[in-house]
Amino acid sequence: MQYTIFNRKPVNSLKEPMFFGETVNVARYDQQKYPIFEQLIEKQLSFFWRPEEVDLSKDRKDFQDLAEHEKHIFLSNLKYQTLLDSIQGRSPNIAFLPVCSLPELETWIETWAFSETIHSRSYTHIIRNIKSDPSDVFDDIVRNEEILKRADSVSKYYDSFIEYMNLFNLLGLGVHDINGKKTEITMFELKKRLYLCLVSVNVLEAIRFYVSFACSFAFAERALMEGNAKVIKLIARDEALHLTGTQHMMNLMASGQDDEEMARVAEECKQQAEEIFVEAAEQEKQWAEYLFKDGSMIGLNKDILCQYVEYITNIRMQAVGLNSPFEARSNPLPWMNAWLVSDNVQVAPQESEISSYLVGQVDSEVSADDFDDFDL
Amino acid sequence: MSDEVKIEIDDLVPIYAPKSQSILSSLEQHDIRIEYQCRSGYCGACRVKLLEGRVDYDEPPLAFIKENEILTCCSKAITDLKLERPLT
Repeated sequence: MQYTIFNRKPVNSLKEPMFFGETVNVARYDQQKYPIFEQLIEKQLSFFWRPEEVDLSKDRKDFQDLAEHEKHIFLSNLKYQTLLDSIQGRSPNIAFLPVCSLPELETWIETWAFSETIHSRSYTHIIRNIKSDPSDVFDDIVRNEEILKRADSVSKYYDSFIEYMNLFNLLGLGVHDINGKKTEITMFELKKRLYLCLVSVNVLEAIRFYVSFACSFAFAERALMEGNAKVIKLIARDEALHLTGTQHMMNLMASGQDDEEMARVAEECKQQAEEIFVEAAEQEKQWAEYLFKDGSMIGLNKDILCQYVEYITNIRMQAVGLNSPFEARSNPLPWMNAWLVSDNVQVAPQESEISSYLVGQVDSEVSADDFDDFDL
Repeated sequence: MSDEVKIEIDDLVPIYAPKSQSILSSLEQHDIRIEYQCRSGYCGACRVKLLEGRVDYDEPPLAFIKENEILTCCSKAITDLKLERPLT
């Protein structure tokens, strides 16, 4: 076994790549190769919230008054969100930590996954409020074929990387006889599977989540299920940050400044990465069909949601340097932005959730020229 | 007039905006809609390509931006700007 939980070798982590260098030993943050991950941690910590802070008592009544097909839309959407966060709450830790080489990145990954567990807890909070028996909803996630299809496409790149990475951590590089089958483990293939896994995570956070947010906010646009929308707003604020984290990782990889071989991997996988985005967009459109199979709701139907999928896919692909595949169009759900603005996530000023509060505390540097333009 | 800058975006009529205001707010005041989300520099939704000019940030933003891109929500113009409208 070549993996060790505490690497005894003295390592200068400033010279290590993000992944597949020496494993991290001392969790120290006084020096950082990429301070951006430390900043993301600070921001994420300043966002801390608890589901119980949001009052859902009106939602219970709203839900009972919804038409049957609207209940289907609401619950299916919630099941999908539960699935996504179940996956994201555990897999970044399992997949990325064993091969991570920078302390600040390691801690960002843990902080990121932790915040996803808060999201999962909030779905229980929501479901417990609207259903007398939450098991109906949770159990269906592993029975409902449409959801299972989603689970398959969301988890397959994780599974493929985790399997190969475990073999690597157990046996090391080279050709190995595994269950009577010759398997070659190469660094290039490891990096390739890692990169593709990150692409699929990016797709999950950047497209799949946003499609589900659109449904949650569409109810609230009609002043229904507003407590739920408040929770989703807090989740969306976190997801925007996670998305930034993944975009940084992908762009650092592609730039080659972190690891030259990784840059070659990114270049070679460009087409595959684009296919992962397009495939996910198609799956989300199929999902839209399932959501609205019994009828639309005011403000949102299958066609509008599909247009939104294409719109958001174009934007997200552009952000990580890929070609946008769909015809350029304007945002078909312009009201989404107003829901996504985190400026008006309401917090009491005495709670230290306002991030500027925390930033102010951390940055206490004053230089002599700060008072230059100050006259008495 | 040194407190105002000219912002050109594609072939739209140029707008004149105060230097002290975020570029996103200036664009919105002139009814030019671009994508936004967090309005505080960490989500990256409002990134646009900067073709000409210089901008400044109160504090360095968290979102990833390429060399030639700016985040309109938290940047202020220092000089006249030419921007490329993103996919909207």
